[in-house]
Formats: sequence, C-alpha cells, structure tokens
Amino acid sequence: MVKSLGIVLIAALILWIEVPTLLKKKQKKELIIFSIFLAFGVTLCIMLGFGIAIPNPLEFLTFIFKPLNELKSRFLK
Amino acid sequence: MMQDVKIDSYQFLVLVILFTIGTSILVIPSDLAADAKQDAWIAAIIGTAIGLLVVWLYCTLAKWFPHLTIVQMNEKVFGKWIGKAISLLFVMMAFIYTASLLYYSGTFLNTHAMPNTPMVAINILMAGTVVMGVRLGLEVIARSAEILILVFFVLFLFLVIFIAPEIKFENIQPVFEVGPIRLLKSSYFYVSVSSINAVVLLMIFPNITNKAKQAKTSFFMGNLVGGIVIILLTFLCVAVIGAEKTARELYPGYELAKKINIGDFIQRIEAIMGTLWIITLFFKLSLYFYASVFGLAQILNLKDYRPLTLPLGMIAIALSLVMYPNIIFQQQWDETTGSSITIVVGLITPILIVIVYAMKKKFKKKSS
Repeated sequence: MVKSLGIVLIAALILWIEVPTLLKKKQKKELIIFSIFLAFGVTLCIMLGFGIAIPNPLEFLTFIFKPLNELKSRFLK
Repeated sequence: MMQDVKIDSYQFLVLVILFTIGTSILVIPSDLAADAKQDAWIAAIIGTAIGLLVVWLYCTLAKWFPHLTIVQMNEKVFGKWIGKAISLLFVMMAFIYTASLLYYSGTFLNTHAMPNTPMVAINILMAGTVVMGVRLGLEVIARSAEILILVFFVLFLFLVIFIAPEIKFENIQPVFEVGPIRLLKSSYFYVSVSSINAVVLLMIFPNITNKAKQAKTSFFMGNLVGGIVIILLTFLCVAVIGAEKTARELYPGYELAKKINIGDFIQRIEAIMGTLWIITLFFKLSLYFYASVFGLAQILNLKDYRPLTLPLGMIAIALSLVMYPNIIFQQQWDETTGSSITIVVGLITPILIVIVYAMKKKFKKKSS
C-alpha cells in the first residue's frame, strides 16, 4: 500500500516536472505519448509493488529467437 | 531536432572507448577463459580484430548517409513503415540493454558493496543519474566522459602496475593449446557485446562536428583502445589468478584487484575496480538509454526526446527488476537470445541496408 502511494507520488512529481513545459510549448503529441508511457510505467511499478507477477518480455523474446539461437549454438560448439 | 547538439571527434573517441570497455571489463574475462582457457587473452585479441571489421561496416553506413541516425537510415532505405518497424526493433534492443545494465550494476553493488540495500533503491539511484544525464543532453554526457576517462585510465594504470609483480607466466602456458577455431568461437560473445552493440553509437554519429576522416578514425581508435584494455585485463586475469579461477568467478576483474598487496600496506583495494567499472557502465548505460529514447522520438516524429526520458526511465527500472529472475537466467539469456537480438539489429540490419541501398542505386543507374 505504502509502495503504491510512493509510486503515485513519484508519478505526480514527474507530471509536475514535465507537463507545464509541454503545455506551454503546445506540444500536444508529445504530451499524449508522454502520458501513455507514464501510465504504463506507473501501472508496471504498482503491480511490482503489490507483488503481482508481470509476464517477462524476455521469455517472449526467447521464444521468437529460438531458431536463431539454435543455429548459433550449433555454429559455436 | 536534437541534431543541433554537437560533439567533437575527441569526445566521440572517449565515448567509444568507454562503450567498448563497458561491462566487458568485469564479465568478459570469465567468459573467454571458460571457452579458451589460458588462451583467453589471444581470444580477446581476435575479438578486437573482428570488432574493428564490424566498426568498418558502421563507418561505411555513416559515410553513405551523413547526418542520418540509424533510425532515419532505416526509414530512408526500407520505406516509411517497414523502416519504422525495424527501428522499433532497434529501440527495443537498446531499451532491453538499458534495463540489463541496470540489473548488472544493481547486482554488483548489491553483492559487493551494499548487501542490505534493496536492489530497487540502487537501481533508482543509477537510473536517476542516467535519466538526468540524458535529459541534460549529449554534450553534457560527452563532457563528463572526457573528465571521467582520465580517472578511469589513472586507476586502470594503477591496477595494472601493482598487479604486475603477481604475474605467473606458467598460468598462460601452454600457449595456443586450444586451436584457432576454438579461439574464434570463444571470442564471439565479446565481439557481440563490445562491437556489434556499438550499432547504438550510430545514433550519435551525426552529431559529430569535424566529420570526414576524423570521426571515422575516432570510431576505430576508440574500439581499438577499448579492446586493448580488455586484452590487457584478460591477460592479467589469466596470468595472475589462473584460467580455471577466472572462468569460475563471476567478476574475475574484481578478484584480480583483491590480489594487490603493496608492502602489506595497500591491500583489498578492489573498490577501485568497482569505481572503474561503474564509470564505464554508467556511460554505456547512458548511451543505450539515449539511443532508445532518441530513437523512439524519431520513430514517432516527436520534436523533442526529453519528455520521454522520465517515463521510460521508470519502465527501465521496473524491467530491470523483472527481466532476470536469477543470475543463471541472466547469463544464459545474455549469451543466447541477447546476442541473437544483437546480431539481428547490429549485423543483419546494417548489412541489409548496405545491400538494399546498393541495389537501389544500381537500379536507378540502369533506368537513367
């Protein structure tokens, strides 16, 4: 619980650092993309804080690159 | 865009040196010794030579597309959507390596320096510094590199000079026991980590001022100097602590520094090794992060990459805590999938760019 509050606090801090500059410069596209990534990051961190297991993207990548891996290890043995 | 940030070729040289040494200074001797045993240092020499070939490929690309980062090159050669898709792979690789290096630094500091601190805190500190550096811009990173590389070389020289009395030449014999093919195969991981990953440096190449020959020379020299440092260190590791111990240890360079003993007075100064390594790791990390943030900004056609730094930094920290459940997984993944991704992004894509662009030019010549 405390961790999530901490993360939300940090997210608020990040918003306070970034958003005024973006609004002043009227960079709407940057603002939207920034918000998407920030939301994603905060969600990830809160999930981590609660101990919910996040699917590891590396395992997904291992699956995709499996044929290349095997080709490589054959070359290198 | 952010192309108005200028660095000169000396700063680029420094950045390449720090990038090439990167994490290799701590983990590569172990990997080389596991495969090539006491000829690990010869494998390092071969690896450096192959690395220079890879750098030659990148310089060719830079020559054909001056003022373009590799993300822009992808778009130009492969068309808008395929180019962006390939660049996305590039950004993903740079970002994964950012998180990976955060994990490396976190684990190292956690194990050897501050065992009771949760790794989250260590990673936040490191990531926070990197984010700050990238936000302040490439010039700032380059200038800090200029200063810190002097610190690096002074400490490295210190390490080399004071460990030299402990060299036992029996440890590197018999020389050339493993055949040349084995040596070639064992240098693979080192080449992939130090030289093929250097494709991310093609994101900052357009920012170098005195172009033409000097920038290219810097790239080669940087890789060479970095390679020499690794060769020297691998040689010292094998000669002082022996091939088996080098292969067994996770951080053989650290073990090496533990052996320094000057008159029973200056002992256990391995923290100096730690400092060396934090310096090179920090700059490699900054360059990976800069490449991913700047690359993403170019893919999305943003005017500025700075707004992306904080959110991506946050995601990188989260990823660094999740990606490797344990260190065995990390070693396994880095050597298999990690280097496969490196090859696809750092070798296959540039070669494809060369082939497709050469074909396009020939096609144009024929039709005109």
